[in-house]
Amino acid sequence: MSVITSTAPRRPMSSADQATSPEGRTKTTGRQRMGRNTRHQAISGWLFALPFALAFLLVFVLPIISAVRASFFAQVASGGLYGGGERQDTFVGFDNFVTAATSLSFWRGIGRVMLFGVIQIPVMILAAMFLALLLDSFMVRRPGVWRLLYFLPYAIPGIIAAIVWSYLYQPELSPFAGAFPSMGGSPFFLSPQVMLASMANITTWTYTGYNMLIFLAALQAIPTELTEAARVDGASGWQITTQIKIPMVRGAALLATLLSIIGTVQLFNEPSMMRAVASWMGNDYMPMMMAYNTMMGQISPSGSGPASAISILIAAVAGVLAVAYAIVQSRMSR
Amino acid sequence: MSTVSTSRTKRQSSARPTPPPSLAPRRTARVITTIVLCFVLVYFMAPVVWLFIASSKTTAQLLSTGSFMFADLSWGANWSALLEWTGGNFPRWVLNSLIYSCVAGVAGTLISVSCGYAIAKFQFPGRRVLLAVTMGGLLMPVALLTVPLYVLFHQIGLANTAWAVIIPSMVSPFGVFLGQVYAESSVPTELLEAARVDGASEARTFFTMVLRLLAPAMLTIFLFIFVATWNNVLLPLMMISTNELKPVTLGLYGMSTYFSPNKGAMMLGALLGVLPLIVLFLSLQRYWRSGLAAGAVKG
Amino acid sequence: MKKSRKILAITAASALVFGMGACSGNPGTGSSSAGGDSKAPVEITYLHRLPDGEGMVKVDDIVARWNKEHPEIQVKATKFDGNAQQMIQRLETDVNANNGPCLGQLGYNEVPEFYSKGLVLDVTTEANKYKDKFSGAFGQMSTGGKISGLPQDTGPLVYFYNETEFKNLGITVPKTLDEFKTAAAKAAVAGKYIADFTPDEVAFWLSAQTAAAGGVWYGTSGDQWKVQVDSPASQKVATFWQDMIDAKSVLTLDRWGDAYGKALTDGQLIGNIAAAWEFAFLLDPLNDTPAEGQWRVAQIPDFGAGAKTGPDGGSGVAVMKGCEHPVEAMQFNAWFNTQVDDLTTQGLVVAALGNPKTPAKALKQFGGQEIMKELATANKNLSMDFAYIPGFSAVGPKAVETAAEAAKGTAKVADVFTTAQQASIDALKAAGLSVAQ
Repeated sequence: MSVITSTAPRRPMSSADQATSPEGRTKTTGRQRMGRNTRHQAISGWLFALPFALAFLLVFVLPIISAVRASFFAQVASGGLYGGGERQDTFVGFDNFVTAATSLSFWRGIGRVMLFGVIQIPVMILAAMFLALLLDSFMVRRPGVWRLLYFLPYAIPGIIAAIVWSYLYQPELSPFAGAFPSMGGSPFFLSPQVMLASMANITTWTYTGYNMLIFLAALQAIPTELTEAARVDGASGWQITTQIKIPMVRGAALLATLLSIIGTVQLFNEPSMMRAVASWMGNDYMPMMMAYNTMMGQISPSGSGPASAISILIAAVAGVLAVAYAIVQSRMSR
Repeated sequence: MSTVSTSRTKRQSSARPTPPPSLAPRRTARVITTIVLCFVLVYFMAPVVWLFIASSKTTAQLLSTGSFMFADLSWGANWSALLEWTGGNFPRWVLNSLIYSCVAGVAGTLISVSCGYAIAKFQFPGRRVLLAVTMGGLLMPVALLTVPLYVLFHQIGLANTAWAVIIPSMVSPFGVFLGQVYAESSVPTELLEAARVDGASEARTFFTMVLRLLAPAMLTIFLFIFVATWNNVLLPLMMISTNELKPVTLGLYGMSTYFSPNKGAMMLGALLGVLPLIVLFLSLQRYWRSGLAAGAVKG
Repeated sequence: MKKSRKILAITAASALVFGMGACSGNPGTGSSSAGGDSKAPVEITYLHRLPDGEGMVKVDDIVARWNKEHPEIQVKATKFDGNAQQMIQRLETDVNANNGPCLGQLGYNEVPEFYSKGLVLDVTTEANKYKDKFSGAFGQMSTGGKISGLPQDTGPLVYFYNETEFKNLGITVPKTLDEFKTAAAKAAVAGKYIADFTPDEVAFWLSAQTAAAGGVWYGTSGDQWKVQVDSPASQKVATFWQDMIDAKSVLTLDRWGDAYGKALTDGQLIGNIAAAWEFAFLLDPLNDTPAEGQWRVAQIPDFGAGAKTGPDGGSGVAVMKGCEHPVEAMQFNAWFNTQVDDLTTQGLVVAALGNPKTPAKALKQFGGQEIMKELATANKNLSMDFAYIPGFSAVGPKAVETAAEAAKGTAKVADVFTTAQQASIDALKAAGLSVAQ
């Protein structure tokens, strides 16, 4: 996590960054009034953080604890036709995890998600960055209107986007899908070979504007004096973009990419909506779909135990990928 | 304090600063850029245009007429169908959605920016843990947490109240990160120290100065929380059962789960749901460029 | 010091999470249970997901009528806005948290699952009082001899077809499977299809056809389940569809994809074997088109067991665990589910006996045919032997996946049954139930 801080736009270092240990007592720079200052920092810091921390505890931490607990249990019947009309909540240790981790469909799902992410994320992030830079340059009149129009797809509710794209992908209804050949009995956009690309398109359509907004906000934080000064020094627009603007939004880009990696591992809406028009996909095409359908009793073994175990594994995979990305990034930027 | 205020006011007034003469681009560059942007626009807007056209059709016309062609303009019929499917509650549900999204957006933006600011600018025990745990919270798929969250809210007596939608929607780890990245880059520590020397309290500094500096980030966080709250279906589906408390997307989702939804009416409902967002977006335009005081202390 | 504080915080937090049972023992239904005033009305809560759409008699209006006539038993109906699985999950969560409704809508295939999880009450005695008001679907609410509620609607397979197109092609409604194949082949030559193999519906659609052919998917032998999805009756169904798919004389479109509606409006699809409840919306895409009023309903062809059809869907209203007034709940349950004409407007083929009026919309769409009479015949021919297993919900998706392959030609229809056979055994074993090998 510290990676985010270190690659954030270079500004005068904050006092928090100067301290290497959280307490900051051991490595003070010998300023006076440090004791008081430290206490002041600690109290004010916590007061500012507290409202969020409490809400986070309630909304994330407690449910996660109960999901973790659930992952070690299974509801088991005691044999017979109906198990005597009752099921016992039984502690099963790591059984749920073993079942999930040894399931072929789980890892196939992870494979699909990774293939999806390796291509879709860079395309989307670069496109968003490109659009943000264009809108931030002085080459565009009324950037506010463009900004709004590009962001609109994100505001369309998921169920509606599902209907829209399923109409556009089905050759019987689409203005363009009929022009593409069918692949092995499936319509082009809904065939096993093209499915990931079709979903990637929906994701890109939905989230490019969203990421563009993140970058725009970052660009807006760059003081115009900086770019103007560079221009006065004879820098070209290209140089200003590559040497001032892009480095300044690196923090935001890293953040957006990390969020996209996590979001991709948890991809759920797109595969679920596509499955409605391509039933060959099954209900475990991607890991998150597998977790959800396990919870809903649509995949056996079902229930909150197995479902929680799958989601914890998903979280672990997402965490590993995010950390790996962050490490690679910080190596490269050194 | 006094050093800051003067140079900031200059820029706030106009929605967009005019480029300094030295930055004015060439005409050809302008034209090419506009063409590129138009192509991109077609990609982003075609499905939205489709939605607009579809909202004017009946279910039968959706199947039998060309995708991008208007048919009979059945907006009236779709509107009355929408009202009937929602038991006359559609306008009320839109209002509910507006209230939930606004409250969650404002409160959520404030708490996440303040937390991000604390992490960036204060040094307090548990700071790194907080950051790590918040990041960790993002890793867990939210859809799977809805059920335990519902059980929890039921226990504390908040299930089936507006709070059951608002409180969870307020919590945006992403907002904290954005706030933190921003506070780091655009709130100069010198400024804070100057304020402390002037004797301003931390709260006063935060509300009068820091929030303004963080305006672009806050606007972005607000929009994200607003839209996410507006479009969230799984949470209200679990939490809300009273008709009068339902948000609009839940009603649309309810329609879509039957065998033969009235799709034209759903499209119309979705379109009407996007309108408040457009209005909101346009009215927030002028605040977009206001957070540029970062370099102000230099002078 | 710091560590112990952290642990304390976590313990406190987990106490909040795990201590759920302790503080929530006050279900919303118990307003009159305290004893005191015996005249305080009993409150019954009812969770449903009936459509309540355009032109339907609304559930709240029906309930209001009951409440007016029965001041001592006040019912509060709540509409759930999600899909069937989400409603099941909601019911399960609520019942386990002691917060469940008194009455809840359950698909017949969910009843065994709910029973085996101990989520419903045994109301056999009460239910038997109302037995003669209902068709054979009454048995669908029974699990291992214990009844948990009353049936609401049924889904016998019937045959929908376009009479005008049939006349033009010179074919009649097929009475046997061979006639069906011949008619399909003849229509296909003209680019018309008298049936569609619907991959996304196979779990109920094909199991109902097995039932029509006189078979079942699940039997019992003593205290063990006997999974026989792959039986000769199923083989017969598989061959029937495989032959027609191979001959390209049927379509293979998903039922709930928009391409199906398109095939209808194009006049390409002129008939299909489908659940009776499809009468309520199947023909909606044809409103105000030349084909409006050309369609009719008939019985399905003889699958080899005589005038018999199978159950494709339908649901009942069960009494949930934790309901404090099961007797009163059942009184309302019996009354509500015998409001035949009102429920028919909701698009249901009502399980209660009676002579429902054919709704005006259906009269128009089916060219004046009194379809409710035809559907009642199908109801009478409904196989009573077909039962589902706990965990059936996990069988369907697997079968659908294979059926999609069969539709594309990369698998056989028979494979659908083999897949479902294996998935059924897996589901039973995963739930800890006994399976005979």
